[in-house]
Amino acid sequence: MTILTLAARNLTRNKTRVVLTVLGVGVAVLAFMLIRVVVWAWSMGGEVAAKDRIGTRDKITFVNRLPLRYAQDLKDAAAPLGVTHVTYMDWFGGKDPRNDSLFFGAFAVDHATFLDVYNELSISPEARERWKSDPQAALVGKNLAKKLQVKEGDKITLISPIYPGDWEFHVAAVYRSTAKSFDESSFIFRWDYLNNNKALPASQKDRIGWLAAKLTDPGRSAEISKAIDKAFDDRDQQTLSMSERDLNTSFVGMVAAVLQILNIASFVILLILGLILGNTIAMGVRERTYEHGVLRALGFMPRHITMFVVAEALFIGALGGAFGLALAYALVGAIGPRVVEDFGAMFPFFEITPPSALVGFGLALLAGLISSLIPSYRASRLEVVNALRRIG
Amino acid sequence: MVPITYNVRSLLVRKISTIASLVGIALVVVVSSCSSMLSNGIARTLKTSGRADTAIIMRMGSDAEMASGIDVSRISTVVSNPNFVAQDKSGNSLGVGEIVVVKTADRAGTTGGVSVSNVSIRGVPANVWDVRDDVKIVRGRKPQPGTDEVAIGKALPGRFQGVEFGANFELKKNRVAQVVGVFDAGGSAFESEIWADVDTVRQAFGRQGVVSSVRVRLLSPSKFEAFKTFVESDKTLGLMAQREDSYYEKQTEGMAGMVKAIGWVFAFLFSLGAMIGAAITMYAQVANRSKEVGTLRALGFSRFAILLSFLVESVMMCFAGGVLGVLLALPLGLVEFPMMNMATWAEVVFRFEPSAGTIIGALVFATVMGIVGGFFPAWRASKLSPVEAMRT
Repeated sequence: MTILTLAARNLTRNKTRVVLTVLGVGVAVLAFMLIRVVVWAWSMGGEVAAKDRIGTRDKITFVNRLPLRYAQDLKDAAAPLGVTHVTYMDWFGGKDPRNDSLFFGAFAVDHATFLDVYNELSISPEARERWKSDPQAALVGKNLAKKLQVKEGDKITLISPIYPGDWEFHVAAVYRSTAKSFDESSFIFRWDYLNNNKALPASQKDRIGWLAAKLTDPGRSAEISKAIDKAFDDRDQQTLSMSERDLNTSFVGMVAAVLQILNIASFVILLILGLILGNTIAMGVRERTYEHGVLRALGFMPRHITMFVVAEALFIGALGGAFGLALAYALVGAIGPRVVEDFGAMFPFFEITPPSALVGFGLALLAGLISSLIPSYRASRLEVVNALRRIG
Repeated sequence: MVPITYNVRSLLVRKISTIASLVGIALVVVVSSCSSMLSNGIARTLKTSGRADTAIIMRMGSDAEMASGIDVSRISTVVSNPNFVAQDKSGNSLGVGEIVVVKTADRAGTTGGVSVSNVSIRGVPANVWDVRDDVKIVRGRKPQPGTDEVAIGKALPGRFQGVEFGANFELKKNRVAQVVGVFDAGGSAFESEIWADVDTVRQAFGRQGVVSSVRVRLLSPSKFEAFKTFVESDKTLGLMAQREDSYYEKQTEGMAGMVKAIGWVFAFLFSLGAMIGAAITMYAQVANRSKEVGTLRALGFSRFAILLSFLVESVMMCFAGGVLGVLLALPLGLVEFPMMNMATWAEVVFRFEPSAGTIIGALVFATVMGIVGGFFPAWRASKLSPVEAMRT
């Protein structure tokens, strides 16, 4: 019988405890993985954003809208720097009167240029024709279309907290997105339909929410952003430009406090993990004091005893880690696609990455190692005579 | 019944194992208490912002002040109706038309848009201090009407560049606001706002001829329904009235609910781990004390008494953990937690607010964990045959 088989045999003598410990470690690893998935998905918002797009908005507040002529001015100023397309849009805040708790992004966009800048939107050539010819045309994301229960050719009426009245749209296309940088849950319609509405007060006419420009060289986005803002510096409304990536990253910065809490929570999990494992190991060592005395009397060295204890802890940690990962993969696999569908703008991904799975498993092993340090040290330091004399 | 001192002593004999489980429970209680305290804090902050005797009038369909806009010409009939609206001693109506905007601001210690967030600016008329008589200047003085002086809520100092008592910041290019006072608003969301002169905000943010919302102090809270009918009967005005407290309550629902939901998911997952930890400890107690259990049975204690005794022991251990957890969580009441208000995109500072419900909930939670974690070990103990048990 080798030392390892002896260590493995030890696991089977208190099955309830080992099973419970593995369960406990598994649940802790599961919770840890879930937090990692959320934090990672959130911070990926910046990563998936298009690198080759710059957004430009009013400098002091996003509530202020810009004059329409800024679109042409921006193009004139930035074209020499490698800006190929410029488009503009506005936030509509649309709601479905049949279900006003459903939240989605609704944007009024310039129909002539929007699809050039956001070329990850894919629609059929016929839909493109309808989009060009019908002022009430709307492009509805695949996921949103499901929730609004509309298909191509349907009519739909939306209301808006900003623009009073009923707004009727014709669904020109249910679009798909070929990249994560644009979600499939938005409602997009033509800005001219909004602007030509007779009820719109004069002060709101020819106003746009923000501009988007497409670059040929993403590496120049910082330089071009600066140039754009400089071009508008002497106007009554100054602008703030940044790459889509920086914009998303700054959004993540606004929820930094929440991320911090999640990180603290994952630290708490590690503590719980250590406590469960440490408790089990310490109890096991205590109960086997007599046996360890016998082993020492037979000629095993203190380091052998240490090895028994550490090997057992590592083995339990590994089992628990594997169990937790299996749970996490099952759970995330089950809810992940739904999360991406419903909250695509916030969570472009909801999945476990191999590195984070490795970290989760590694932490379970590490907890096993650390929690066995003190008990194994104590066990190895026992005086043989005292150990044999002691009663469990 | 088996005397409780027996349980206390048993717990004390195996200190390490007891402490490990106890700390595990304590950590879970910290997590659940924190989420309860934060959702309390959110609810209180937003609720104290609203009063039952104050009505807020916005454009029909708007869900937040910022998205609303009312022509100034339309407000006078509403504000000065003596049938509903209270007056001060000199006969002026207690009503204010305000403009609410959010402004980008650099976080304290950063410049140039490295780390930005949004801060709310409220343009207020001179009589706002009479209408909101519960808001008090605690440092400096009230801003001079008609100037670019501002007062800031007491949650703001230290958070944004230039938004400090005695300092200044740019409202827009070349228009500098001077901070001359700090006000206390009883912990409400107003404390995260900047209050500036309504005309200053109007000019700086291009809001000529409009206000975001109108607030009026009603003669009594019971006048609200009649007032609402009065405001909304004239469809051409396109206005709606809400009680101020229910307006803020609606904003709370989403956020406090989210914090609670996230908190309970974590608390549930963590509690599984902690209960397993408790079960491991209790199983070990049962196994090690089977001889004692046999003796107790032989002395005439019933199976039920044994079951109860071990359950009591588990509950005692977990309850102590609960107390420790509450003690660890309570000091968080001093921590400020900035979070984005989803309805306005501006940061509001919340506090962790302990309540009797937090403490009772935490202790009940710990007790339940003790019962669940201890039940199966106690069950096993009660099933031990006295003869077998004493023979081991």
